[in-house]
Amino acid sequence: MDQQVDVVVVGGGSTGCGVVRDLARRGLDAVLVEKGNLTHGTTGRMHGLLHSGGRYAVSDQKSARECIEENMVLRDIAGHCVEETGGLFVKRPEDSEEYFQEKLEGCRACDIPVEVIDGEEARRREPYLARDVEKAIALPDAAIDPFRLCVANAADAREHGARVETHAPVTDVLVEDGEVVGVEVEHETGPGERVHREPGATEEIRARHVVNATGAWAGNVGEMAGVDVEVRPSKGVMTVMNTRQVDTVINRCRPKGDADIVVPHETACILGTTDEEVDDPEDYPEEEWEVDLVIETLSELVPALKDARTLRSFWGVRPLYEPPGTGTEDPTDITRDYFLLDHGDRDDLPGMTTIVGGKLTTYRMMAESISDHVCDLLGHEATCDTADAPLPGSENPARMEELMDEFGLRSPVARRSGQRLGSRADDVLSSSDPNPVVCECEGVTRAEVQDAIGEAGSDLNAVRLRTRASMGNCQGGFCSHRIAAELAQEYPEPVVRDAEDELYQERWKGQRHALWGRQLSQAMLNHLLHATTMNRDGDPANLDSEVDFGAFDSGAETESAGSGGGSGGESGTAATDGGRAGDDATTDGGRAGDDATADGGRAGDDATADGGADGDR
Amino acid sequence: MTRHTDDGDAEEGNGTDGERGDGPAADTDRSTPSPGVPEAGRDEQPPIFVPDDGTAADAGGDLAAGDAPAADRAATAATDGGVESATGGSDSTDLDPDAYDPVDVFPGGDLDLREGADSCYKCTSCDTSCPVAEVDEEFPGPKFQGPEQWRLKRKEDHDIDESITSCSNCMRCDDACPSSVPLSQMHNEARGQFVESQMEKLSREYIRNRILSNYRFFAAIASKVPRLANAATKIPGAMKLGEKVLGIAGDREFPDFATQTFREWWKARGGAQVENPDKRVAYFHGCYSNYNTPEVGKAMVRVYEHFGYEVLVPPQKCSGTPMFANGMLKDARRHAETNVENLVEAIGEGADVIASCTSCSLSLRQEYPELFDIHGIEDVSEHTYEALEYLRINEDLEGELAETELADEQAFAYHAPCHARNQGLSRQAVETFRDVDGVTMEDVGDSCSGISGTYGWKEEKYETSMEIGAEMFDHMEDAEGDVGMTECPTCAMQMEHGTGYEVEHPLQLLEDAVGA
Repeated sequence: MDQQVDVVVVGGGSTGCGVVRDLARRGLDAVLVEKGNLTHGTTGRMHGLLHSGGRYAVSDQKSARECIEENMVLRDIAGHCVEETGGLFVKRPEDSEEYFQEKLEGCRACDIPVEVIDGEEARRREPYLARDVEKAIALPDAAIDPFRLCVANAADAREHGARVETHAPVTDVLVEDGEVVGVEVEHETGPGERVHREPGATEEIRARHVVNATGAWAGNVGEMAGVDVEVRPSKGVMTVMNTRQVDTVINRCRPKGDADIVVPHETACILGTTDEEVDDPEDYPEEEWEVDLVIETLSELVPALKDARTLRSFWGVRPLYEPPGTGTEDPTDITRDYFLLDHGDRDDLPGMTTIVGGKLTTYRMMAESISDHVCDLLGHEATCDTADAPLPGSENPARMEELMDEFGLRSPVARRSGQRLGSRADDVLSSSDPNPVVCECEGVTRAEVQDAIGEAGSDLNAVRLRTRASMGNCQGGFCSHRIAAELAQEYPEPVVRDAEDELYQERWKGQRHALWGRQLSQAMLNHLLHATTMNRDGDPANLDSEVDFGAFDSGAETESAGSGGGSGGESGTAATDGGRAGDDATTDGGRAGDDATADGGRAGDDATADGGADGDR
Repeated sequence: MTRHTDDGDAEEGNGTDGERGDGPAADTDRSTPSPGVPEAGRDEQPPIFVPDDGTAADAGGDLAAGDAPAADRAATAATDGGVESATGGSDSTDLDPDAYDPVDVFPGGDLDLREGADSCYKCTSCDTSCPVAEVDEEFPGPKFQGPEQWRLKRKEDHDIDESITSCSNCMRCDDACPSSVPLSQMHNEARGQFVESQMEKLSREYIRNRILSNYRFFAAIASKVPRLANAATKIPGAMKLGEKVLGIAGDREFPDFATQTFREWWKARGGAQVENPDKRVAYFHGCYSNYNTPEVGKAMVRVYEHFGYEVLVPPQKCSGTPMFANGMLKDARRHAETNVENLVEAIGEGADVIASCTSCSLSLRQEYPELFDIHGIEDVSEHTYEALEYLRINEDLEGELAETELADEQAFAYHAPCHARNQGLSRQAVETFRDVDGVTMEDVGDSCSGISGTYGWKEEKYETSMEIGAEMFDHMEDAEGDVGMTECPTCAMQMEHGTGYEVEHPLQLLEDAVGA
């Protein structure tokens, strides 16, 4: 099972996916390994801004220039991942005029096309902007879907012969004779790690070179190889709103600070963010003050945010890096530039290169430079074409009108499907007939879910990232079981159940930070549907031991007791609910008695039927 | 929830001719519209001109004949910015930024429906209460039409799914929602937008819908020559022709036009017979009581005069109900301007507004303030009541009726219209007449009659309409009575059509009972 390849890329974020695509297109035999699903780390936890460079135009003009350059490239090669929203840097009365001018000049110096508009014009474009916004700089910020972007990169890599392995954490970096010669990965199983290989099996992948593209986790991989990589992970919160209060990226025009950006993303808006250095990228506190801060502060720009419905919050960890000895105190001051660490030069350990820092907008450029470096080392001559070759899905725009007619979709569903699938829309949508909507909030049909299952296997969180199914206002309450049902034909029942639980849990995780007002009501309704109607909190099928059918009453004989009132009620209800309902019956008093009558009869029938089959067990 | 009437918008409407979005000029003119905010309708001129009868048709019937044209002029002026917003307008950028009101930030009176999308928990109560979804499996239901579609639309997306035209605007979803999502408001917006920007203005469907929703215009002409008009609809094949040419359900019987309209009767009678500055009501008779069933209007006047009310009959036009249901928001607005102006005047004279048609009262109460920003429209909303409801609130109807008995015993099969249900009035007829000797009032259940105004008149909706109505027909036939009763004129048509029963309005029975 061991394999010798040219390059192993560790980390399925934007950088790793970009690198493996680039290497594969240059004809190298490459493998991507990722410990979760694609975008599991920082890439899946960003606000989705495709930088124009405006953000760095004062502090870091090199980054700013790279951003505007790549911004334009991605519009071309990844059109179906990008929404051309435009962006504004808005100035409130208390924000410095001097900085506004600096920003403007900075943008011009970096060839970022800018336009200064007054407050009135800004509000005409974005009616929800605060009335006292004085003026704004308009520039070509955009929104990008990091999931779609990574998936498309991985898909293209695969088409060019690469192997992409998810749920395969690196357990060791193989070092022989002072040289890195590959990695050992474990193919995980259990909830969430359903690669369909032999569970728990380890595999050594030997390679001529290893690229460590694990971002905030780069130190961990470095450690396995015995080298020190000083990443300074910094967390930031992002809060997702239920609707779009703005359709343009709104930035606060001031030097630096928390909570200064609103990014429209698909059906939602994402508010960001905070910047707090953490010790461990896996384990850090998610704190309430961070959520409160972004909502409150950004309400100064968009007052409607204060009362609008939030869906959830999530945290991401920036893979900040600075060369040893720089010693910057405040994480916001650490450079956003990327660093390529050749461990041969740096640590006298050839065979491995680490890339840290950087940002999603410039992922392709980073991938190009690291691929150049790797090709150099391997003596492989090939040119990079990733700036010109469109990603799968972006070859040509989807034909919205035709989609509607051809596939009989409601117009917003057709439009959404087309926006997500790009040029693949035809192929995907024609694969399922009938093609009902599975996720209503985001307008995702069975065909799209099945397509994602085909790519991602039974990991429903990977399906979610590909399709946005369950990412709308119900947060899986009304659709996680429907999505899981789509697995049922291909996968055994326990896999389907685990997949559903895992998806539902993941949705719950983010909602914990939005439990007030309307999302609290939603969460309560979801809970009642899943806990009571679907009996998922006490489902006999999930019990470790076999169901004790003897505990059910025996039907006809006890039915009279059931109608007799309280005591019969308890036994009747208790039987169907597995014992817990006894308490309810006591508090419910008379009503439980009534229920018991109805339930008693039914439980009795079951018991009789089962009793016959199971004997006295 | 009042919206601002913007000055610039009327201009835009003039130029765009309903084909907005094609030319670059139209694009820039509309500019980048508010984010995902529906933009149809309000404050714009209609895309094609249907001559309004404000001048001609009303001249004969209106008490204050000379007022109608003047009112029209005033109303036209209003669209040009002559009328101030009832809330004081919004274009002032110097307002306190803390006193944030989403309504104010949208120039052009666009509605902000974000709140509705935020409030939906997807519970689907609305879908289970939708009579159309129950019988038409192609219809995606109110949740999709409202909050879901709204949320899925993106800034530059203007297309509304065509299925919005299958919504009958019964508005049951409004009542069903446990979270106060303004479903019918969202539907009205979506429908208005669909008709405005996606419906072919020369299509048979558009023309048919325009005719149906402007019933008043045609009724006014027909009632000039009622006998001829009535005869014409009974010419063999006439309705079939209507179906072929216009898509109007050929199986329906066209309602007869009264030989004397309510307003003609009112004028001939010399207006109000009771003067009472302390108890005044302004009667909003609506089109149907005026042109087709003036007996309902007469009953209203007699009953109210019996209780000592001075009845005013202000100049008025269509309440807008059929226009909302067909997405003709501009037509509805023009009519609303006249109505609001005249009703506000009556309110100023101490009157409350009374309607005998539950759809008219619902429109004035709910849809007006939800959809239009016209000076005083909130006042009209707050002062409007249904006729029986008002008496039950303000008079001792129970005491009055306790001693009465109906000369000839009669059992009624009562159907509560959906729009009455939305105003909490679904039991009023049953409760009112419960103790009247000789009257048996039986509620035939909570199903929808299925006609929903103009809906059941459309050829392609006829079968759906009858399927929805089937439960009501069954229950009517099971009921003891062989006379139907309802407050809604089109429900009455459907009841008659499905069972052959004669159908009365509660006011007519009340007139008999109190001997007014």
